[in-house]
Order: sequence, then structure tokens, then C-alpha cells
Amino acid sequence: MKEDPILSVQNLAIAYKTRKGYIQAVRDVSFEIMPGENLGLVGESGCGKSTVAYSLVGFLGRNGRITNGRIIFKGQDMQSLDEKTLRKLRGAHIAMVYQEPMSSLNPTMRIGRQLAEALAAHTDLPAEEIRQRCIKALQDVYMPEPESILARYPHQLSGGQQQRVCIAMAMLNQPELLIMDEPTTALDVTVEAAVLDLVAELQEKFRTATLYISHNLGVIARVADKVGVMYAGELVELASTEQIYTHPLHPYTVGLMRCLPDVDAPRGTRELHPIPGRVPSPAEVPAGCIFAPRCEYAVPECSAGRPSFQEIAPGHFARCWRAREWLENPLWTKKPAKSSTYVCAKPESEEPILKVEDVRTYYPVPFTTVRSLIGLEKRRYVRAVDGVSLSVDCGYTLGIVGESGCGKSSLARTIVGLETPTGGKMEFLGIDISNEPVERRRREVIRHLQMVFQNPDGTLNPSYTVGDQIAMSLKRFRVVPANEVYGRVVQLLEAVKLNETYYHRLPRQLSGGEKQRVGIARAIASNPKMVICDEPVSALDVSVQAAVLMLLQEIQQQFQTAMILISHDLSSVRFFSDYVAVMYLGKIVEYGQVEEIFSPPSHPYTAALLAAVPRPDPTLKQEFVRLSGEIPSPVNPPAGCRFHTRCPYKLGEICEREEPPARRMSMDHVIYCHLPADTLQAIHPVIRRSA
Amino acid sequence: MAVDSTMIRITPAQLRWRRFKESVGLIFASPTAVLGLVIVLIWVFIAAFAPYLTHYTPYEQDYKNINKGPSAQHILGTDHLGRDVWARVAFGARTILLLAPISVGVAFLLGMVLGLPAGYFGGWVDELVMRILDSIMAFPTILLYMIIISAVGASPVNVVIAIAIGGAPGIARLIRALTLDIRTREYVAAARLRGDRPVQIMFREILPNCRGPLIVDLLLRIGYAAFYIGTLGFLGLGLPPPTPDWGGMVQEGHKFMTTNVWPVLSATVAIVTLVVGLNLFADGLREETMRYQ
Amino acid sequence: MARYIIRRLFTMVITMLVVSIIIFAVVEIAPGNVARNILGAYATPEQEKSMENQLGLDRPVAIRYISWLFGSDWQAERKIGRPLKEIVIQQGTVERFRQWWAVDEDGSLVRWGIQDGQLYKYTRQPDGSTVGVPDEGAWKTDENGVQYFWGVDNANRAVLWVKGQGSVEYRYEYSGWRKFENAPVDYIPLTKGLLRGDAGISLRYRAPVSELIASRLKNSGILAALAFLVSMPMGLLLGLLAGLNEGKPADRIISLFGLVTAASPDFATGIFLIMIFSLWLKILPGATVFASSTAILDNPKMLILPVLTASLVEMGYILRITRASVVEVVQSNYVRTAILKGLTRTQVVLRHVLRNSLLAPITVIMLHVNWLIGGLVVVESVFGYPGLGNFILNAALYKDVYAIEAASMFLILLAVGTQLIADIIYSFLNPRVRYA
Ligand SMILES: Nc1ncnc2c1ncn2[C@@H]1O[C@H](COP(=O)(O)OP(=O)(O)O)[C@@H](O)[C@H]1O
Ligand code: SF4
Ligand code: SF4
Ligand SMILES: [Mg+2]
Repeated sequence: MKEDPILSVQNLAIAYKTRKGYIQAVRDVSFEIMPGENLGLVGESGCGKSTVAYSLVGFLGRNGRITNGRIIFKGQDMQSLDEKTLRKLRGAHIAMVYQEPMSSLNPTMRIGRQLAEALAAHTDLPAEEIRQRCIKALQDVYMPEPESILARYPHQLSGGQQQRVCIAMAMLNQPELLIMDEPTTALDVTVEAAVLDLVAELQEKFRTATLYISHNLGVIARVADKVGVMYAGELVELASTEQIYTHPLHPYTVGLMRCLPDVDAPRGTRELHPIPGRVPSPAEVPAGCIFAPRCEYAVPECSAGRPSFQEIAPGHFARCWRAREWLENPLWTKKPAKSSTYVCAKPESEEPILKVEDVRTYYPVPFTTVRSLIGLEKRRYVRAVDGVSLSVDCGYTLGIVGESGCGKSSLARTIVGLETPTGGKMEFLGIDISNEPVERRRREVIRHLQMVFQNPDGTLNPSYTVGDQIAMSLKRFRVVPANEVYGRVVQLLEAVKLNETYYHRLPRQLSGGEKQRVGIARAIASNPKMVICDEPVSALDVSVQAAVLMLLQEIQQQFQTAMILISHDLSSVRFFSDYVAVMYLGKIVEYGQVEEIFSPPSHPYTAALLAAVPRPDPTLKQEFVRLSGEIPSPVNPPAGCRFHTRCPYKLGEICEREEPPARRMSMDHVIYCHLPADTLQAIHPVIRRSA
Repeated sequence: MAVDSTMIRITPAQLRWRRFKESVGLIFASPTAVLGLVIVLIWVFIAAFAPYLTHYTPYEQDYKNINKGPSAQHILGTDHLGRDVWARVAFGARTILLLAPISVGVAFLLGMVLGLPAGYFGGWVDELVMRILDSIMAFPTILLYMIIISAVGASPVNVVIAIAIGGAPGIARLIRALTLDIRTREYVAAARLRGDRPVQIMFREILPNCRGPLIVDLLLRIGYAAFYIGTLGFLGLGLPPPTPDWGGMVQEGHKFMTTNVWPVLSATVAIVTLVVGLNLFADGLREETMRYQ
Repeated sequence: MARYIIRRLFTMVITMLVVSIIIFAVVEIAPGNVARNILGAYATPEQEKSMENQLGLDRPVAIRYISWLFGSDWQAERKIGRPLKEIVIQQGTVERFRQWWAVDEDGSLVRWGIQDGQLYKYTRQPDGSTVGVPDEGAWKTDENGVQYFWGVDNANRAVLWVKGQGSVEYRYEYSGWRKFENAPVDYIPLTKGLLRGDAGISLRYRAPVSELIASRLKNSGILAALAFLVSMPMGLLLGLLAGLNEGKPADRIISLFGLVTAASPDFATGIFLIMIFSLWLKILPGATVFASSTAILDNPKMLILPVLTASLVEMGYILRITRASVVEVVQSNYVRTAILKGLTRTQVVLRHVLRNSLLAPITVIMLHVNWLIGGLVVVESVFGYPGLGNFILNAALYKDVYAIEAASMFLILLAVGTQLIADIIYSFLNPRVRYA
């Protein structure tokens, strides 16, 4: 006999009231969640995922309204419930975990009270019993010393711990339905991996039906039994995880899978296929198929009418006129990787363009005491970069990876001269630039060492037009005569796949991807010999990331620019770099050619990073090197090997005491670790294809 | 890359006009702002056309009519010296509508000169500037004005100076706070990376991007300036008589209130409507810009 | 936490130092100097010069600043070579004045004077009278053979006499100018300095400023405290109501009310209230007339309008700040969490909204104490209320410099002190600061 679903959503439509009238944020969404089932909802930001989630608990804010459809939770129509019944459902039967754990916890209330409150609202348990259950819940999410956690305030916990607390809070009443809205998006990969483990384990243990929302296909593949793909407010595809990943029936789903680099694909074996255009805002959805303007399979009929959400194969729904064609004629299957033609040949003779030796960048910790204010206490420093040496050759790309806060950006800012190093030596084009902030550098140096920034919203000055901002660089460095500036700006805009119409636009009239392109055009305006890209794509929608990455690669090949690509995303680094440096707490732990980094022998930290990346492939069984604990504070980095507090291979005292030696594994490949070479050789994240 | 077909070939002038319309639209989107603007504009109108709106000068005395209520001759009556109250209110509008913006303008210049470097350079520059600003802000505003005016004497210039000194720390703090935020933006780093000097960065990259909150703040401050010009006048520290000055009118008429409320009532209503109007305008604008972002 | 407080104390001290410099600079160095302010326009240049000398105004600015803040007695002691002592003379119960004496070797209190070209030493008797004896032996001789003597005269000054070279001294007394021959050539007015509680003598009232301030402080304190007690809870409550009902009619009405009351100058509010309650309804007095300035509580009815005026402006301000804060907190993610936990609306408001949304107003309100103080000046002036504000206003109008300086310093110390307390309260309420 078929079980009844816990939750059934039928033809749900939600609108937000704004100045310009109602905006239809969600249209015609239907799905069901069975007891114990985990439904993943995937899509880019702004697609309406969170709106759906909040509608399930009747919390759409004052301006949101369900305009159509029904939400049926355990047989009850949620819209017919009065406020009181709804309140009894919230927290007890339907619980939620949010994207930003820090802001989701009350900053002025102890964790213990915040947890207890969730229980007290729905039960009459005595205080002591409530306390015991809170402790138990914290133990379930592997919080160390739960008793002391109860007495703490949210700001005293790290991001990962806060999210564990939120999960514990959600699980306290053993809800039938758990909604998780991007619970790991704000976290580092290694922390994310641990939280995902936890989610999987709780799922196993309590069999809670879950709606798991993420923009990351890899994460969804890890946790979900069934996947719904959302695009511009509509559910475009819904099927079992297996089906979605092996036999997608909607061009958008395929687009999402093809546009991202694959961390397991050696350099040069994969091409990226960006989805052209951008996600339409809910106010301007096209008639007909909403995906038509970006769909490479669109035929004229597609724009004529809106396709319905149909069951194409058993249990496999899609919203595409041509879905049945794809059944016989698969849109995409995981192609065997093409063989790589990539060779990384290090030029023998040439001097490196950039040499960095033992560079340190410390930021003073602000004075917090009177004693320090009047100089009685030793000044304390954040050791953001603490002795980094590397070199970059003309026309090559160096990738730098590491978790957030490990000093990647500080290193980049130090090299371009935005920060002054505390110590060490830097040479660019043979000129010593160690102690020169950018204000004191020669114009020739500045001109040839440019930077692309992370945040598209901050990268352009909102007060000037796109063209003016690019032109300013051209004029300053006298790249072309004054009367040719306009023409040159247009050329540059075209080089980044924009055009002349963008010249007079203000930044706020551009999308994130477009802003990032303008940032790139500005950086290459002076024909620099080297460009440093600090997380150039990580703030962009996934469908746009690929296009920007490819653009960077194209520019690099066209102009033979040397590049440093800084990223926390190992797959884009593997896609793009010739050399890679792995950083941890201000130091480089491994350095080598790209394929050397991504295959054994590996530093334990590199292996852990690699293992933590969630793969968008449910058939892969990952066995993880799990890191315990969190990244220590760079004010007081651990002595000896900085990684020893979290290293699963720690040798013992020697790792706590002595700086690890550089172990040269090949001509370019260096690993800083006390482990002997053959042990390093054996360290590898095991990824197995399930039978 | 799909090119947005609606953006075909627009001249810079058209774009500027479009942006201008957008900003004006911002004002009209808020009923509060419109109400405030209307009130303020009424006063601007009265001030501009004061000589045409009354038969009297604010100084001439009608000895036959002293401390009289409204009549056909004197629509708001006369004060204790037989001067026409409406004429004094209308000309008083000139005084306040001139002095308030000027003193805020001076305060803005001072605040900018202090706040921009403090925020941009930080360190000891910031520490020094902040200590001085904190100290000025520790003064009860009225007290600061009283001390300054009693030291330098009451005159239009001195009122402007006093109000500028009193207002500058607030503006400097605001500019500093905005600068602290904006200087971490990446476009400032980009400007440094094309070799811009600190002064260029402060004035070209940072200041223009402070304008949203700054405009709202300056508008509010014009309201406060009017508030304080009135108060100084009331305390007898404003413009020396017989200058038509609303605060001064209240001060002079105060003693005769039991016999004739009109001078006091008119001047009080005038100052309250003007200040409330400015506040409504600034408030409406602030809410609108916040929504806009 | 303790560190935080110490740090705040430290900056407060620096702030007060800078404040004292500003006050001193503006009041004393400003054009239209002090002597002229006191003497009016009719003094002759000689009279003016003598007066400046007597008041110590011809000494370097830095010395004057130090004397004003830390006293001049220790400077004079070094010149005189004897310890100096200030005694307080009690006449009846209220009237008091202070006298400076030098302490002689035998412990008796002495002063000096010149009579017929001769130096006399006057010793104070237990009954307050003095006995003078010639003290010609006290003259000292410098390297040029000039005989001089530093002593204390009968006008609380350390003075320098030079034998045979007496200058002319002009004193301005009730009867007019008086001229003295054989006067000293240099003067140091004796004071303990502001920091040691000596605020100088009011030029207008000819009484110690500190006592004048003390007598008015109570009145202003009562007014301020009552205004605070009315405006604070009302402002917080109305702000909370408005914030919780954002966008609804209740919010619009309260907000508009807050804007109008906060934007109206205090004097305008006062005038309106007088017109309504005093001239029109005739139920409350429109001015305060007290039998004695110490008896303001005898007629509470007279306090109503001043308190109401001071409260209204303040309340409008508190209301607006609170409302903004509540609106922000209500939209915060943690309030969303609380609602989705299944708490009732009351629980959400009491446990999550209230505390967090009061954090911001508390600091801002306390920062606003100096506003309230400024408001007192105006309110007291509107109602003729015998308080500190009125006192300062009159001091400013009459250029009573010592009174302005001392009263300003006192009020600012009060304001800064309250802000410090606010900071401490804030850090208690906000664990992010408490556990920093
Ligand atoms: N301007 C600064 N002042 C103080 N600390 C900073 C500053 N910039 C970065 N840090 C600190 O330095 C460390 C490294 O930061 P960052 O270079 O941004 O790392 P990543 O690029 O890997 O995210 C972090 O602890 C960060 O908080
Ligand atoms: S309906 Fe047409 S346009 Fe839409 S997704 Fe399918 S093929 Fe593409
Ligand atoms: S040195 Fe020791 S602690 Fe560090 S990575 Fe190697 S084994 Fe781990
Ligand atoms: Mg970074």
C-alpha cells in the first residue's frame, strides 16, 4: 500500500507585493515529500527556493501572499489553519534551519535558553528534563562540552558550531518535516563536509522527512533522494536523484551540470559550457517557456505557450515541450573525458616575472585595553600571511587554494601593494617591490600588476559609468592617445564580450556577471603582464561562473598574461592553473604543478580539502578524510606544523614542536610535512564508483 | 552574451536626464517627502517675495496701533512697537532661510575636511580628529552656541560660525563612518592600483558615494539649524534687534503674551512649520532611499 | 569588561581635558577681552590695564589655563615662601565667603598691606579681626639692589610690592572707580582651581560660582529628573507600539506625533503649552514664580508645564529612535527563528524583540543627555524657572566668564558621565561587549 506523503504541495503560486504591484515569485510548483524522504531543491539564487520554504511554515512576511495552490501537511490544508494551530505546527512538527546561522540566533540570549524555549513552547516538561534533552540534542550534533555551550552566547561560537546549534534546535521536538535552507552555504568546504555528514546521519537515525535547499548540485547529490530543479520561480524538473544526474530531461538541469568545472577532471580534459544570458527577474518572465531565451534547444514553438509540468517517465517530471524527445535522445550523458593535450612545460631559461620570498603580512589587533593603548602590552598581530615563498613565470597561471581566512586575499593584496608586508622580499619584473605600497611604486610596476576583485557589487564605483572607469586607467597609463580612448574602451568591452552600449551605463544597471566582466576589462586596460584574480567568480551565479572563467582563460591565452587565481573552489583552480599552491593559516603547505597537487602524494590538508568537495554525482561513493575541529585563530597559530590540531595523520610530538620540512617529491612538487614520502604517497581521498 | 535590445544607443544626455527623473521620482514616491517639500516651498516663496506680500517694511512703527490683534490693516496684528507682524514674519523667513543653509554649508565643508582624512587614513590622524570631535559633541549644543555667541557677540556671521562649529562634528562623524566603509570597497583598491593619490581617492571615489546619506543628513541639519537659529533668537543671543527674526519675535513678544499673543503665535507657528517641513522632507527621502537600496 | 570601562574612563578624561581647553580658549581668548566685558566701554586705558593686571589677565595663556584648572596657590606659595590657606567665613547660615591667608612660622594666619609706604603685617585673631604691625624687615633685595616683597593682600591675591616703586591701582566698586597709590606691581589672583572645587567668583553676583551653581542645581535636577521620568517610559512605550505596528495607522499617527514634537524647538513647544493651558484654558500657571528659589516643590502645579515642555521634545526623539530599532529587530533573522520555533507573539516580543531593540535607544538616549541639558536652558528661560540653565543663560548674556566656564564644565561633566554610565549599562545588556 502506498504511504501518504508528509507534505504535498499542489500548484503553489506566491506573489510579493512591491511598489510596482504584485510580483509573481513562484508559479505552479507541485511536489510531494514522503516520510523519511529527503527532497533536494536546487536552483540559482533568486529562483524562489526560499520563498517556497517559508510558505510551508506560513511565514511569507507582510508583503508575501499565496495566490494559488495548496499546501497539505499531514492531510491538513495549511492555508485553512488559524494562527494558533499554525504556531503549534511550527517548531514542533515542521522545523527549519537557515542559511546564516549567526544572524538566526538571538545575540543577547544564551544558547541554553534559546534551545529550551523551543521545547518549552510545545511541551510541559520540567526544567531539568528540558535541560537534559538540550544537552542530548547538542551531543547528537557532536558539539563538544554541551553543558558549557548552553551557557554561551552565539558570538562565542564559530560558524560551524552555530549551524550545529541551529540543527540541534530544529531536531529538539523531533519534527516530521525538516526544512534546510542552504544550511552550508556560508561555511567552508571542510566544515560543510562535516555538517553534511551530520545531516546524513540524523536522516538515518530519525527518518525525518527533509526539504533540503541548495544551489550546489554536489551538495544535493550527497543528501537528496529526490531532486527538484527550480528556475525563475518554476519547478522545471523533478525526479529521483539517480535519474536527475544520469538522465536529465530539462535543458536547464543539463546546463547547470555542464557549466561547472569538475574537480576530478585533469586539466585540459573538460570544457565548460556556460548558459548564456541571465536569470530573468520575476517581474519580467518571458511568455512561453521561461527558459527559452537561454535555451540552446529552443524551437519557435517553445515561446508560444508555457509548457506544463508533465510526468515524462515514471516518477520523472519535466517542464519542457521537447522533454519526450530527450527520453529517446538523451540531452547529455556523462561523457568520457576527452584525452588531455595539456602539458605544463616550465620554460628553462626565463626568469620568473614575480618572485616572493618569505613574505609576511601582519595586521595589528586593535587596542582593547588601556595598557595596550599606552604601550605597556605587547602588540598582538593577526598573522594573515606568515612566510610565503613562490614564483610565477611569464604567461603562466598560479592557483592558490585554501579555506577562508587562510591568508589568500592578504597575500594577493600584499603583492599588488594594497598592504605593506611586515617582512620578506618581493621582486616583480626584476624590480624590488618589497617595501613599496602601491602609492610609492613606479608607474610601470603598477601598470603591469593589476587585480580583479571578488565582489561584483564593490568592484565598480557606483558613481561613474562603465566606460569612464575603464577610460581612467587608459588615460592614467597613457596606453593610447587621448583621441583613441573611446575606441579602445569599446575594444576592451568587446574583449570581455560586452559591447559599446555598455559604455554609458552605471554599474547598478549591470548584472553581477557583467560587472565582473567590466572589472576584468579595467584590469587588462593597461596591458598588464600580470593579473591577480581574487575569487573572481565565487560571488556569481553558477550559470555565469563558467562564462567568466572561460573569459579569463581566453584573455590569458590571447595576451600571454601571467595570472594568479585565488579561489576556495578546487575545481576552478584545477580547470585553470598551471601551478597550484595550497595555503593553510598563512603558510603554503603544498606547491606543485596542477596535476601533481590533485594526485598522490598529497599533503594531509590537501587531501582533506579534496575529499570534502561534494561531487555532483550520486554514483560516487566518497570516503572522506574528515577534519576535526575548526581552523585556529591566526593571532595565535599553533606551534610546529600549523595543521597539527586537525591533522588525522599527526605523528605526535614532533608535529607540535617542529616546523615541518619541505619534502621535494619532484622537480616542482614540494610538501611541507613530517610524514615520510611513502606515507604521503598513500594519502589519497578514496572515491569509489558504486557498483 | 545576449545584448539587451532595449539599450540601443542612448546618448549620455538622455541617460543623465533619465537618472535625474529617477531621483526626482524618488521624492514624489513618498507622500511624507512631498508634504514636507510643499511646506518648505511655501516658506521659500514667502521669503523670496516678501516685499510684494506686505505693504509694510519689518521696521516701520505704527504708533497708533501698538500690540493690536489682527485687523484689515495688519493681518496678523502689530507688536509692542507697532510693527506689522506679518511683515516681520515674512522678512524673518528670509533671515532663517538664508542663514540655515549657509551655516550647514560651512559645517559641511568643515566636516568634510575633518571626516574624510580621519576615515581614510585612520591611525593617529583619526584618533586626534575623533578626540576633538568627541569633545565638541560633549557640549550640549545650546551651551556651545551660548558660549561662542557670548564670546564673539551676536551677528549673522557669528550665528553662522557658531552653528557651523556645532554641526560640523556630526557631519564629520558621518563622513568618517561612510569613508571607513567605502574605503574597503574594491573600487577604491582599483583606484589605488591605477596610481590615484589619496586626495583624488577621497574626493573622486569616496565623497561622491557618500551623497545618499549625506544629502538626507544635510537636509535634516538645515532643519536643526533653523531650530537653533530660532532658539538663539529666543534666548536673546541671535540676530541683534531690530532684524526680523522669528526667535527674536517670540523673545520680545513673550512679555506681552497675556495682552497680545499674535506676534508670539505667528513666529512660533512659522518656526515649527518650517522645521517640521524640513524634517518631513528629509525623513521621507531617507525612507525612500533605504527602500531603493 | 573592566578593561572596557577603564578604557572608556580614560577617553572620558581626555575628552574633558579637550573640553576644558575649548571652553577656556573660547571664553578667555576670544576678542572683546574679559576686562572690557567687566568694565564696559567707559574705562580709561589705565584703568583697563590695572584691572587686567589685578585679574592676572596679563599672564601667559598657558599659566592662566593651568591656574584656572589646577589653582594658582601653589604657584604663589613658591614666590611667597610660606604655605597659603583658604578659610571659609560663615555669617549666619547662608552667606559665606572665602579668604586667603598665608600661614606664618608660628601657625598664625597673616596678610600684608602697605600703609604710608611701609609694609605692614596683619595677623588674624580668633574673633576674625586683624592686628597689624610694621614688617619692614620682610623686604628682600634682588641683585640690582631693589627691595621687593611677595605677600598676600586683603583681596585674596598674591601680590608683589616693590619698595618706593608703587604703581597705581584702580578698583571698581559699587560707588564707582577708586584709585589706590602705592599699589603692588604684580598680582596673582588666588584660586584653588576648578578641579579642586574652586570655580572663582561670579563677576555679576560677587559670590563664589560653585555656591551659585549648587543652589540652582537642585532645581534643574528636579526638572530634568521629572522630564526624564515622563519622557523615557512614554517614548519607549510609544516607540515600541509604533515599531510593532509598522505601517499601520497607529504607527503613522505615533510617528507623525514623534516627528512634530522632536522637530519643534523647545521654546515653541513651551509657548504652545502656555497658550493652551494658561492663556486659553487657564488651568495652569504660565510662568514659575517661587517665593524662594529653594522652595520649588511647594507649588507643584507650577512645575507641570516646564516638565511637560522638556519631556515632549525628548519623548519625540526617544520614540523615533526606539521605533526604528524595533522595526529593524522585528525584521531580523533571529526573530524569524523565534516565530518559527512556535513561540506566541507575546513571547517573541518579550524575549526577543524587547531587549535587542532597547539596546540601540539606550546608548542614543544617553548620548542625548546633553540635548536635554540644552533644552533645560530654553525651558527655564521660557518659564523663568530658577535653575542652572537660566543661570548660564544670564551668565552668557552678562559675560560672567567664571560662571560660564564653571557651569559649562560642570554640565558637560554631567553629560559625559551619563554617557559613560550608558555605555556601562549597554555593555551589560550586550553580551558581545561584555565577553569581548
Ligand atoms: N585589514 C585587515 N585587518 C585585520 N585583519 C585582517 C584584515 N584583512 C584580513 N584580515 C584577517 O587575515 C586573515 C586572512 O584573511 P584573508 O586574506 O582575507 O583570507 P582569505 O582570502 O583566505 O579569505 C583572516 O583572519 C582575516 O580576518
Ligand atoms: S521548452 Fe523549449 S525552450 Fe523551454 S526548455 Fe524545453 S526546449 Fe528549451
Ligand atoms: S607535519 Fe604532522 S601534523 Fe603537520 S601535516 Fe604532517 S603529519 Fe600532519
Ligand atoms: Mg578572501
